Order: sequence, then C-alpha cells, then structure tokens
Amino acid sequence: MSHKASSPARFHAALAIARRDLLEFMRDHRTLVVTLLLPMVTYPILALATALGLRTASEEIDARTAPAEIRLGLSGADAPRFAAILQRTLADTAASARIGWPADVVIGSVEATEAPSLLERGEIDAWIDAAPGLAADLAASGTVELPVRMAIGNRAGHLIREQFETFMRSVARDLTRQRIGEAGLPATVLNPLALTFPDEVAPPPAQNVISTLAGGVLVLLTVLTLTGAFYPAIDAIAGEKERGTIETLLIAPCSLAQLVFGKFLAVFAITLATLAVNVVSITATAAVCMRFLPQGIVAHVPGETVLLAAGVTLVAYGGMAAVAAATCLAVTTASKSGKEAQNTLTPVILLVSAVAGTAMLPGMRSDGVLAALPFAGQVAVARSALGAGDIPPADTPSVAIGLAISLISSAVLTWLLLRLTALTLADEDVLFRGPDVAGPALARPGPRRLPTVIQGLLPIVAGLAGLWYAQGFAPDDLVRAIPLQQLGAVVMPLAAMLWWQRVDRRAAFSLAWPRGPRQSLLALVGAALVGSGMFVLGAAALLAVRGADISPEAQALSGRLLALMRTQPWWVAWGLMALMPAVCEELLFRGWALAAFLGDDPAPRRRMWAVAAQATGFAVFHLLPERMPQTFAMGLVLGAIVVATRSLLPAIVCHLAHNSMPLVILAWAGGPAALDLAAGGASPGALLPPEALLGAAAAVALGAMLLALSVHSRLPEGSR
Amino acid sequence: MFPAPVIEVAELVKHYRAGDGSVVQAVNGISLSVAAGEMVGLLGANGAGKTTTLRMLATLLRPTAGTARVAGCDIRTDPVGVRRQLGYVSATTGVPDRLSPREIFTSFGLLHGIDADRLPERVASLLEQLDLGTCADRPAGRLSSGQRQRVSLGRALVHGPPALVLDEPTNALDVVGSRDLLRLLGTLRAEGRAIMLSTHRLHEIETRCDRFVIVHGGMVVATGTRDELVGRLLDGRPGDLEDAFFAAIGGVREGGAL
Repeated sequence: MSHKASSPARFHAALAIARRDLLEFMRDHRTLVVTLLLPMVTYPILALATALGLRTASEEIDARTAPAEIRLGLSGADAPRFAAILQRTLADTAASARIGWPADVVIGSVEATEAPSLLERGEIDAWIDAAPGLAADLAASGTVELPVRMAIGNRAGHLIREQFETFMRSVARDLTRQRIGEAGLPATVLNPLALTFPDEVAPPPAQNVISTLAGGVLVLLTVLTLTGAFYPAIDAIAGEKERGTIETLLIAPCSLAQLVFGKFLAVFAITLATLAVNVVSITATAAVCMRFLPQGIVAHVPGETVLLAAGVTLVAYGGMAAVAAATCLAVTTASKSGKEAQNTLTPVILLVSAVAGTAMLPGMRSDGVLAALPFAGQVAVARSALGAGDIPPADTPSVAIGLAISLISSAVLTWLLLRLTALTLADEDVLFRGPDVAGPALARPGPRRLPTVIQGLLPIVAGLAGLWYAQGFAPDDLVRAIPLQQLGAVVMPLAAMLWWQRVDRRAAFSLAWPRGPRQSLLALVGAALVGSGMFVLGAAALLAVRGADISPEAQALSGRLLALMRTQPWWVAWGLMALMPAVCEELLFRGWALAAFLGDDPAPRRRMWAVAAQATGFAVFHLLPERMPQTFAMGLVLGAIVVATRSLLPAIVCHLAHNSMPLVILAWAGGPAALDLAAGGASPGALLPPEALLGAAAAVALGAMLLALSVHSRLPEGSR
Repeated sequence: MFPAPVIEVAELVKHYRAGDGSVVQAVNGISLSVAAGEMVGLLGANGAGKTTTLRMLATLLRPTAGTARVAGCDIRTDPVGVRRQLGYVSATTGVPDRLSPREIFTSFGLLHGIDADRLPERVASLLEQLDLGTCADRPAGRLSSGQRQRVSLGRALVHGPPALVLDEPTNALDVVGSRDLLRLLGTLRAEGRAIMLSTHRLHEIETRCDRFVIVHGGMVVATGTRDELVGRLLDGRPGDLEDAFFAAIGGVREGGAL
C-alpha cells in the first residue's frame, strides 16, 4: 500500500513543524509558567513594592516640609520689646512671602535659669535671652550677635530650626527696612536691580515617576520576553536531540531551512504570547498602581501619548520577540541536551539584560544607530514614544524612523540567526557528536589540526576585553601604547590559545609560501599594490561620506599618529604603525580566526561566511565606528587573499603596504591635506585629487590581477 | 527471485575527520541492494559502520564517495525525494513524549504533504494495523517500550514508503515485544516493501530475513541467505547464523575479506 504524498508547498512543511512543536510546548509546564505565570506575578509584586516605597517616601517628605508650630521662650530684661519686634514681623509678612515659614510662632516669657530644662523637656523649641539694650542695639547700625538655643533630641528639630531661621531672616529684613527709613533713604535702595523676562520660555518636559520607571519596566519586559523563548528554544532542537527525535524530523521531506523556519515559528509564537501577556500585566498593574501612588507624584500623561507608546512598544518588541526566538535557537542548536542548552543560554540572557540597559544611558538617541542594536534599540524606541527618552513625544517622525530602523534590523538579524542555526544543524559533527565532547572545565583539549569556531572567536573576544580595560591606564605616548596594545590585545590571547589548544600551527596560520617562486613574487607584489591602493580609496571614501564629521576620539587619534610620524625616526614610526600591526593582526584574524571559521575543506558558502566573520571581528577590533566600514572592507580583502593564495604572507604584505602609506604620503607630498590623509583625519572640505584616486584604483586593479595570476598560473613541472 | 531493487547502495564511503585531524574510515565502499518484498539484515559489531550506512541512506549524513538510490532517487542529488520514498526508524525510539500516537502520525502525515481530508482515515488505519487503537490518544511518554517502538514504526510508515530502514529496532524490547515487531515487519514485507534492518540480536532475525549482509571495518565481508552464509563460512561444520557471523568477522581479523 502506498500513499502518494502531494508535494508540500514551500511553507507547508514549516507550518506542519510549527504546529507539532506548538502542541509540544503547550504541554510543557515550564513554558506555561514562564509565559503566563511569571509576568502575571512579577509586575504586580514589583509595582506594589515600588508604589508602597514611593508612598512612604512621599509621606516622609510631606512630614519633613509641613509647617511647624514653634514655641519660642524669651528671657531677659528686653524680652517684652524683642517680643514686640517679632510679633510685628509675624503680623506684617504677607502670606505669599511665607515660603518655608512656620505654622505659628508662639512667644512666651521664661526665666533664664529654667529655660535649659524647658528645652530639655521639649516644652519650648527655642530660647533667646534678650539682654538689656537688645532692642536699642537692633535699632542702631551695628550687628547684634544673638545666640539661639534649640531643643535637641526633637525628631522635627531640623525642620523647626530651618523654619525658625526663615522667620528670623524676615525679622532681620524688617529691621533693615526700619534702619534705612530712619536714615532717610528710600526703600528701593535695597533693590538696585529688577529683572524682567518678556519672552516666555517653554517649561522643561515633565519628568514624572512613570517616565522614570518606564525605562526600568521596558528593560524588564525585554528580559521577560526573551525568557519566553528560553524553554521552547531549548526544547525545539537540543531537546529533540536529547529525546532522539531530531533524526525523525531531519528525514522529513523538506529543506533544513524550512525545518529551522518551522521551529522558529513555534518559538516565535510562544515568545509573542509571552510578550502579549507581559503587556497585559503591565497595563493592568499600571492602572492598579495609579490608585496606590500619592497624588502629585504621577503627572498627567495624555491619552494619545499612552496609545502611541503602547503601539510602538508592541510593534518594536514584536521585532525583538523574533530576534529573541532566533537568538535562543541559534545559541542552543549546538547543544546536545536540554541541560547543556540551558547552561549555554543562561549567560546569553544576562548579556541581553546588560545590552538592553545601555538604552538607559544618557545621550542615547533612538533614531540613530542605537535603534538597530538588538534588545537595546527596542527599549530606546519605546522610551522615546513614551517621552522618557531623548526625543520628545511630539516628535512622531523621529519615533517612526527609530521604529523602522529597529524593525529592519530585527528582520535582518533574525534571518542571519536562522541561517546560522541551519548551518549549525547541517554540521554532522555537531549533530552526531558523542559524549566525549564534555569534559572537565579546565582539561586541556587534545591536539587537533585546526581550532574550532569557538576557539577562533576566543582570542578576539579576549583581545576586545583587553582593549576595553586597557583604556583606563594605557599610556598616551604611542611609542609605548602601540606595542602594549598589540601585546595585550593580540599576542598574549593568541599565545595563550596556541599553547592551550595544541593545533597544527602551519595549518592554523596558513604559514606557507604561495606555491612556486614566480607565483609567490606575483602574489606579494599584487598584495602590496592592493594594500597601498586600498588605503587611499578608504581615506577618500571616509572623506566623501563623513567629511569633517569626525568624532573627537578619531581626531585625537589622528593627532597622535601625526605626532608620532613627525617626532620619531621613520623606522620607529613604520615599525609601530605598519610592521607590528600587520604581523600581529594578520596572525590573529587571517591566521587563527579565519582558519577556525573555515574549518577543513570548506564549501564556497562557508568560505564566504568565514571571510565576512573575521572581517567583522577585525572592524570591531578597531573600535572607532567611523573607521569600521573601511576596516571591514580591508578585512574582506585580506581574508579573500588568504583564501585564494592559501598563504598568510601576501596578507601580511598587503596590510604592511596599507599601513605604510601614511609615511609614504607624508614623505612625498607633505602639506596640510597630506598630513590629514596620512593621519586618517580630515579637514573641513578636504577632498583627494582625482589623479590620486585614479592611481589608487589602478593599483588595486593591477594588484588583484597579479594575485589572480599567481593563483591560476600553472606551476613549472616538478615544483610542487 | 526478487524484482528490481528498491534500495541500491553502490561503493558508499564515509570518512570523518577526528578532533586530532586524523581520518576515520567509518564506511569504506559498502555495496548492497534490497528488492521490493525483501527483508535484509545488516549485521556487524559496534563500530562496523551499520548505523553510518543507514544514516547515509536516510540522507542524515553526506557520503564521502559512492552513492545510493531509494526507489530511483539518489541520496546525493535528490535527498528530499529519498525521504519521500523511505521510512526510517532510528536506534532511539524517536517518539515525542508529550504527543499522542494519533498526533504524531497526523503531524508527520502533514509534514509529508498528505491531504488533510484523507489524513484522519490514514491515521486510523495505521493505528489499527499497529494495534495502537487503545492508546491512540495517550501521551507517548506513558506508553510501554513496545508500544513506543510501534509508534516509531507507524511514524515511518505514515506516508506509505516503498522502502523501510530500521536501526536496531528490537534493542529496547523484551522477547514478546521483539516477536510482535518482527511479525509486523513480516507483514509489511508481504505488502511489498523493501526492508533493511540492523541488529545485534541475530537469533531473532535468523529465520525472518531473506538475506544478510555482514559488515566489518566499514566493509562488506559476507553476504547471502542464512543457509548460504552458514554453508560457506563454517565449511560444512554445524552451526547457526551467529557462528557464521563470528567466522566472517574473525576471518577478517586473520587475513582479509572472505
């Protein structure tokens, strides 16, 4: 008996897999707890704690600022006259001028001998001994020193003292007016300047508690949304491997991409459901919270702002849910059990929390590059829509731009992550590897020919961390800073990995001449031409795109490089700027990392990914955002050279030629424009002469031709 | 005589690169065929290359060299076509615990593009054929090993493939479960399916398979019916399939293929 199965439509298989996985997920209690219970419990608990905390704080503030009744004891012979002066101020001061004023000042007469004990018992708050002649001295022109004893141990003592001081300053002002009047001067002598501001200035945007809390809630929403993808993603591939069901899916009549897409759809659906439940919980909690919060703390948020914010948040976070689902799938695909996947994914959740938190940093704008950053971009866009970010809420176009950037970035990133998942799943070694992979954390791995992909990434990550931490104490002087940077960020991580991993060094670093002597010569000359031409073309592109819009960091670096070239002998500058980075960075990126990403006998597509991946690492390694496109392009070229020639040497020569160009330009051309070009900076309006561009393009073309010749030309007999 | 082969394996080779860079020759030029209505036993010690061969046949692994065809579809050039013509039961049961047999059959039926209107009928008939009617809606995690193995077989049969490949299907079963499963395979063979199964429990399949292929070190070292193998490998001495098997792999140890 044979059923003739109809050919499944393109998405038919993916939908069938998604349907099957969803059924499974819905029957997993962990998924239901994380999707439904966690959001329903988390926000109310946090909101209750926050609301009660704010309420208590508000009540304390109220208590501390409430007008107090001050009981003032006066002793001494002049007490009645001094009391009259005080009473006059109390009666004459207008209500509008009584800011920080006590509720009342009750003045009573006390004996000087009893006053300290009255203060101690708290029967009076303050005591002044009005010695004989006090009233007369106050009416004269001198300054009278008047000790005021205050009750100590009173909880509101500080408040009473502040309010009493305010009152006594008014008394002093009244006495001043009296003295001026008696001296025959007008009262305006005390007000030589009256400032008026005819133009109205808009008040600053109201920053209320809700706006302040919004950022924190959005970061929490990010983490909980990602948590929604946690268990389904683990279950989807690592769980299938653990249960032994993955093989049955892999022999389904569909492509690996469709299978991964089906899995993604199921995880995405659960993540979206988690997001929806979170948003419902936040909305309901916010409504309840309003009743708990004291009046005045919560400023009025217009209804349209709330609607816009909610809509933008849902759409932006929908994109984030896709990235979250794809991230969790990509991270867990290589794991062979649920536990291993859980251990891998947990640090990723922590990392994402940190990334999402960057959106809260001051100065982060949601309508620029930040919006494209996964997890942080969505927080920034949602904050802007609520008016809590750097963009005012009325600026709807800016919010729309941020939202569009965020969605495009989410779509691209999701696609890339799904491609990565499919590639990982296609790796037979990953799919069927045995339990021997697991071992003690610090066990030195056995010798192998090439580093693994993770091992390829490790020195780059370690190098980046080294660069970051070195910023605090790296010397300004480039003569010391460059060797230290190359040593700490490149040589040491690489040496440590090399010692630990025990790989075949010749294979890992492509340490071989490019075939025969003629081919080697062609390759090295070609690489030098490409490198020198690429420098000029890169500088021209930077000038054309950025012009004078160069960050202060880039300008500072340009200045330091220029100083290095002008103050040091040429061979010192060349060694530091060209030779050292060319050798060290090529060993790391085009040697170790590229070999790790390529693996053994790579397919053409894997070659492409490997070259792009190491070029990305190379670009990020140079830290300055405006230089990244240039360094990325250079990384691509250098990677392609190594793949084509199967040798690192042409790449080193190419890099060397590229980095030597500033010195060459400085020596030959001189002049301010050449100085800028040599240092990689730019003067306003600076452009390269067309002949320089033509020459650079010709050098690149000729170099590429020589490289191609070296790869494709026939070797003489017996030279292999 | 059997009709034209449904499964044809020609000089199949699979080499792995181990972590230290050395090359492991898991399968080294295996050729065999299985005709419609024929059941062939693939025998070999652990590491002989049985599972690797079956995985290549099921398009789970890419061969280093050589090829195989299932109902005319080449595993290299038309893997999706192969998957439509092949039912594969892996060494693990491969049954999701939280789904019921009915849901498992339905989901794989949809995956194979079976018309949604005809699918319930197909699933019901499969449940009946595999004697799973009483537990059709129970989560597979609560089924016995024998029932789970039958679910696994049903999943592989849902699209009605002409060829069936089973990797150690009786491994986790008791004597009764093994007997039931092998009887079921006999029925499927009688329906005209080409069946190839690997196992270490030779006595179970001795009288049930039409032919046997003994592999060792990634190579076929002997092939034939039970009687042919016993007669040829034991040189007329009395013995059974197990004796013939040990003679086959021992022969290799002593001096090359037989």
